[in-house]
Amino acid sequence: MIPLFLALAVLAPAIPATEGVRAAEPAKPQADMPQEAGAKLSGEAARVADWIAASRDNGALPYIIVDKKAAVLSLYDASGKSLGHAPVLIGVAVGDEASPGIGSKNLAEIGPAEKTTPAGRFLAKFGLAAGRQKVLWVDYATSVALHPIPKGAPKRERRRERMLSPTGDDNRITFGCINLPVAFYGKNVSPLFRKKGGYVYVLPDTKPLEAVFPRLRVQAAMNGGGG
Amino acid sequence: MSRSFTKFAPLAVILVGSLALGGCATKGFVREQVAAVNQRVDALDSRLQATDATAKSALAEAQAASGQAQNNGQRLDQINARVDGIEQRMQENQRKRPRN
Repeated sequence: MIPLFLALAVLAPAIPATEGVRAAEPAKPQADMPQEAGAKLSGEAARVADWIAASRDNGALPYIIVDKKAAVLSLYDASGKSLGHAPVLIGVAVGDEASPGIGSKNLAEIGPAEKTTPAGRFLAKFGLAAGRQKVLWVDYATSVALHPIPKGAPKRERRRERMLSPTGDDNRITFGCINLPVAFYGKNVSPLFRKKGGYVYVLPDTKPLEAVFPRLRVQAAMNGGGG
Repeated sequence: MSRSFTKFAPLAVILVGSLALGGCATKGFVREQVAAVNQRVDALDSRLQATDATAKSALAEAQAASGQAQNNGQRLDQINARVDGIEQRMQENQRKRPRN
């Protein structure tokens, strides 16, 4: 009996405690310039990134993960290699849906509550827009595109200052489009997406992650997480 | 033989005897407990095996459904891209403006 207790007492410290949990707090880059690959992702962004890489959901195309809560964009090549992070500006309204018919409205007709950046998985491609300009459409049906801060944006919106600020709280200013630093767009995103486009995964504001990306559930079960 | 040995010998015999008897009682008790626990473990094990089989079958179905959904999603992506392309090639005054 006593030797048994002694053995248990000796072995007790060797039994592992509960596993450490990956940090879930959002991480926003501090400057306008693209951040190094491998910078810290939020828990949700890391989960989506792991799922895409494991399931090859992107096929043979590059992809972007937009973390709306952290106001950060992460770019990956077709093989899943991280190519960097950049701050983004998103729709001024909190929400994950696009209101019906918003794609055919003029900017002036869009109400404050309609200015959301819809969450989901989108096949983004370069295409024509009004004025014969070429833009990277994220969701053509709802007129959401990914582009640098437009030159005609009113100065009172202070978009550049918002992008440069260390907090993500002031990065909600657009009508729904995703604005990113011009250097990051020109050097990284545009060349990568020019030929065949790529996928853009926009993380939700309020919806559960699994409601927006249902295949995460299967991935969790396959990894033995059970849910 | 010293005097002290004759004095403490009965005491030593009593002590060793009581320890040995106490040990036997403890072993018996443990055997009973272990047998009861073993029975419960066996029952739980059979239930676990049944649950495991159900879970594996559910996972296989979910994987198949997920794969089908992925294929469907890719086909939809292609169709959407074609529709978007057609729409974009329409008249200039019908082209969309991004939501900046």
